[in-house]
Amino acid sequence: MSWDTLLQYKWGVMTPEFVILGVATVLSLIDLLMPNDKDRRPLGWFALAGVIVALVSLIGLLSVDRTSILNDTFRLDAFGKAFKFLLLVGASLVLLLSMDYKPKENMKYYGEFYYLFLTALLGAMIMTSSGDLITLFVGLELLSISSYILAGLRKAHRLSNESAMKYVINGGISTAITLFGMSYVFGFAGSTNLKKIAIQLSALQDSSQQYVLALAFLIMFVGLSFKLASAPFHMWAPDVYQGAPTPVTAFLSVVSKTAGFVIVLRLFITLFASVPSQGKEPSSMLLSMQDYIAFLAGATMIIGNTIALKQRNVKRLFAYSSIAHAGYLLVGFAVMSWVMIDSMWFYLAAYLLMNLGAFAILQVITDQSGSEDISQFAGLYRRQPLLAVLMGIFVLSLAGIPGTAGFIGKVHIFIGAFATEPAHYVLASIMIATTVVSYVYYFGLFTQMFFRPVAAHESVKVPLGVMLVVAICALGTIILGIAPSLAYNFLDQFQHFSDFLR
Amino acid sequence: MSGEYLAFLGLALVAIAGGVLMLNVTKVMHMFVALVFTFISIAGLYVLLSAEFVAAVQVLIYSGAITIIMLFGIMLTRHQDEEKEGAKSAWRKWLTALAVFAFGAVVYRGIYHLDFGGQATHLHEKNTEQIGVALYSKYMIPFEITSVILLVALVGAIVLAKKEDEEVGS
Repeated sequence: MSWDTLLQYKWGVMTPEFVILGVATVLSLIDLLMPNDKDRRPLGWFALAGVIVALVSLIGLLSVDRTSILNDTFRLDAFGKAFKFLLLVGASLVLLLSMDYKPKENMKYYGEFYYLFLTALLGAMIMTSSGDLITLFVGLELLSISSYILAGLRKAHRLSNESAMKYVINGGISTAITLFGMSYVFGFAGSTNLKKIAIQLSALQDSSQQYVLALAFLIMFVGLSFKLASAPFHMWAPDVYQGAPTPVTAFLSVVSKTAGFVIVLRLFITLFASVPSQGKEPSSMLLSMQDYIAFLAGATMIIGNTIALKQRNVKRLFAYSSIAHAGYLLVGFAVMSWVMIDSMWFYLAAYLLMNLGAFAILQVITDQSGSEDISQFAGLYRRQPLLAVLMGIFVLSLAGIPGTAGFIGKVHIFIGAFATEPAHYVLASIMIATTVVSYVYYFGLFTQMFFRPVAAHESVKVPLGVMLVVAICALGTIILGIAPSLAYNFLDQFQHFSDFLR
Repeated sequence: MSGEYLAFLGLALVAIAGGVLMLNVTKVMHMFVALVFTFISIAGLYVLLSAEFVAAVQVLIYSGAITIIMLFGIMLTRHQDEEKEGAKSAWRKWLTALAVFAFGAVVYRGIYHLDFGGQATHLHEKNTEQIGVALYSKYMIPFEITSVILLVALVGAIVLAKKEDEEVGS
């Protein structure tokens, strides 16, 4: 391939990726050349600036039509744009958080902290906008490997080491399983291009071949379920979330999870939607696999919410709550209504805002007290009324109380469950029941903050960055809760992601 | 029974035996020997599939580099050959075995009667060149991202392994 043919591609559509890659590279060089005793925090602002520039360039690309580079190994379509938007916003908030992260033991190597965040983000962004198995997989690995290291960055902290170890082993196994499933798909289609695979697979009529393909579907789904932290593959999540530095936990629970759902949607819808399968009408392998996904969604909601009831450690509590939220999101995927991607996008946006806000406050409280026990939240209302009220908003939104973004997100997924034919009553009722169960632990946190005697008397100092994150998240949570049409107007320009399969 | 089939049987047997052995021996060095057996017989399988380039890479990277690096890792770190029997209950063991066999049976049922039609005949033609051309033209983006992955892995390995010397100095 000559230089001229290379230049014919519209590399401009990759600007956000190039910006992130460039900033990460420059940061690593600056970190290398900086004197050892200098504070690394300014690097964080530089990283944040990079993410914001990428965000601006993405907004500039919103009106660009579907573009594909090098046989779809990179493609910018509505789906990619919408989810990349979420990833970039989430990452910039997490970066703001990480600059004010001051754990009790002295944590060094802040420079790495920032550019590993950026490479992880780059991996996630690649996952959103690719139509090729190899690129998707490479993006997934970039995200995973960066996250393994990030989880272990508190080197003097025993739990952090344990969490990194657990994460790398579990993650490695899940990656291997995913790759094994992908190899079957590649074996059937002889191509790594998703569209070509879809065409090849849709001509598959032999029942024994369909059987093996269904097996590949399940193997891939199991592998990717690890990344979503959905039950019964959620075992790593609480330990990793507890041990990892708080901003990393926030990153894993929001950005990493979003990327996981992105790859699930992209892979399974593109590959399996048009594969014939026996039994069901209309004949589609994706639809015939619905029951398995629905089972996983139900199990995830039940397990996540019930185990969360027993948690005293706030980070573990939020880990189980994030597992439960993955369950709600899987409901959206399992019912496969025609608004599936829109409702999941909205839920992920709401989840991003409310969860990051909660993690910001959690970080302040746990950093100052050095303990992650839920009792540290006791009497927060007396110590710092504003913070308590804001945390209250996030908790209410996570619980799904009307007036918040979490409520709207849940309602849309819920409606999706009834919009299909046949309607999914069982799944919808499990969702309601587990939501009610989740009130118990969310309101447990609530009573700690508002009705318990004060745990410690010194006032809570809130750093500027955290305050900014909390303010943005609280505003977003309420605005999306009262006027969800704002988000839907944003989504309207994508026309229900109609260029997804083209 | 053709020679190819016999070679496949032998190589597959060694690969599986190496894997099983690795899980069952207790000494670290023995584990590596078992692992090398698996790696090399997998390289042999690649040759059978006319993927000579991949086979060479397999020998170079896996049997060579990775094994040596792991050996260094083991030799340079403290490790006691502690033998701790985990308190695993018997039923859990049986359940795991059952799950493994069930999965094996399901896969076996799927692939035993699988018919892909004819065999490929052009696999051996200039395959290394084809890999090169594909890698540097069509798959340039994933190729470049892989270099970022390597960078991240390198940085991560250094960050996590580096001793905090300041505490010692002060």
